[in-house]
Amino acid sequence: MSRQSNRTTDNKKMNSELFTLTYGALVTQLCKDYENDEEVNKQLDKMGYNIGVRLIEDFLARSSVGRCQDFRETADVIAKVAFKMYLGVTPSVTNWSPAGDEFSLVLESNPLVDFVELPDNHNVLIYSNLLCGVLRGALEMVQMAVDVRFAQDTLRGDNVTEIRMKFIKRIEENLPYHIRFF
Amino acid sequence: MADEALFQFLHSELIQYIYKSGANGETENGKNITKLEAMGFRVGQGLIERFTKETPRFKDELDVMKFICKDFWTCLFKKQIDNLRTNHQGIYVLQDNSFRLLSQLSAGKQYLEHAPKYLAFTCGLVRGGLSDLGLKSVVTAEVAGMPACKFQVMIQKV
Amino acid sequence: MTVHNLYIFDRNGACLHYSEWNRKKQAGISKQEEFKLMYGMLFSIRSFVSKMSPLDMREGFQCFQTSRYKLHFYETPTGLKFIMNTDLSVPNARETLHQIYSTLYVDYIVKNPLCSLGDPLQSDLFSARLDTFIKNLPYFNPRAA
Repeated sequence: MSRQSNRTTDNKKMNSELFTLTYGALVTQLCKDYENDEEVNKQLDKMGYNIGVRLIEDFLARSSVGRCQDFRETADVIAKVAFKMYLGVTPSVTNWSPAGDEFSLVLESNPLVDFVELPDNHNVLIYSNLLCGVLRGALEMVQMAVDVRFAQDTLRGDNVTEIRMKFIKRIEENLPYHIRFF
Repeated sequence: MADEALFQFLHSELIQYIYKSGANGETENGKNITKLEAMGFRVGQGLIERFTKETPRFKDELDVMKFICKDFWTCLFKKQIDNLRTNHQGIYVLQDNSFRLLSQLSAGKQYLEHAPKYLAFTCGLVRGGLSDLGLKSVVTAEVAGMPACKFQVMIQKV
Repeated sequence: MTVHNLYIFDRNGACLHYSEWNRKKQAGISKQEEFKLMYGMLFSIRSFVSKMSPLDMREGFQCFQTSRYKLHFYETPTGLKFIMNTDLSVPNARETLHQIYSTLYVDYIVKNPLCSLGDPLQSDLFSARLDTFIKNLPYFNPRAA
């Protein structure tokens, strides 16, 4: 029957819509709960961070990626493996700073904003700010402190979506206590 | 395409946020459940809106319920509902023996008291989906031992 | 062939999980002391191994053995450490430890929002699955050692 075939082609799409729509419902809820957009942005970043610190373990368990040797390798892994795995898109890695400590992820299309239009009274809202938190949280777990922010956003009229990432420092591991061997 | 793990983590964060922003206590717990359910409702509506446009009309109520148990569930949770029962008077019980959002929490009674908040959003998804297919309903969930759970759908006659 | 015991530490040195199967001798100190001692030793040996390495290497410390037992070590890029003691006949348990991480720890701890990361692992489901997993290893034999 034709109904059956229609439905199977829809399946994959519906599953990704679940994420996009749930994210939309979350942002709507936050906009209701907080008076200003800056608070919403902060909350999205915080929630993203909580997701990131767990998502990194899922990522490492499923990909065979090991510890990265440098920030360039990290950039490639994020763009080509992680974004592909979780959002089905591959951003390009561009605009490296001369010192090699800053780059941009440029997304032609952002799956989070399918069907989204920002109302006029939310011009400070960074709709996809969760992504910044996710990246920050995930990288912190692999000993990298990184500053992540949106530089361009199609929702705000830019042609592309650009996430700017700046390496701050490597987080050193320390022995948390003195040990007495006997 | 978004990955399943990403949705699971987002779902958990959603619950944590709602529970942190609301106060504690019995009545507040009810409010939080309602909030989560309402969010699920909107998402369920959106999902059906986008994906049943080309599908032919359903024969009857039971046909709709079968669609929820098979297609809808498989899309969202990678498996079908294991058992569907009805009293033929508008009450349906959908049993999932290993519900995706509980299967990693526990295999028994541990954390049982937390189960309701992990089901509220899904109750909303079902109610939202049904409402877009023209059925007004009340959906509740019940868990005796994880990861199995039962969703009860009561169709409201207009 | 046998498995003696297993430790899981987080990156801050907290022991998240400990279980034993065929351990015939205890250390004679409290478990807390034992965990600190184990973590401290691993921390030192790991830095020692990479500092003294005559070559560049990706993977550092992996195992050591005595005349009676062998200690297998696996560390994730996030700093989680999995340690298993077995008898000498077990050639390499890194793949096993990786599996404990990727199929058990990630599925039942990381994906269980009720488990806070960094707290001792409380999930019964995790403990049960881990126990089954270890007992099903080809080199697990309760009567040996």
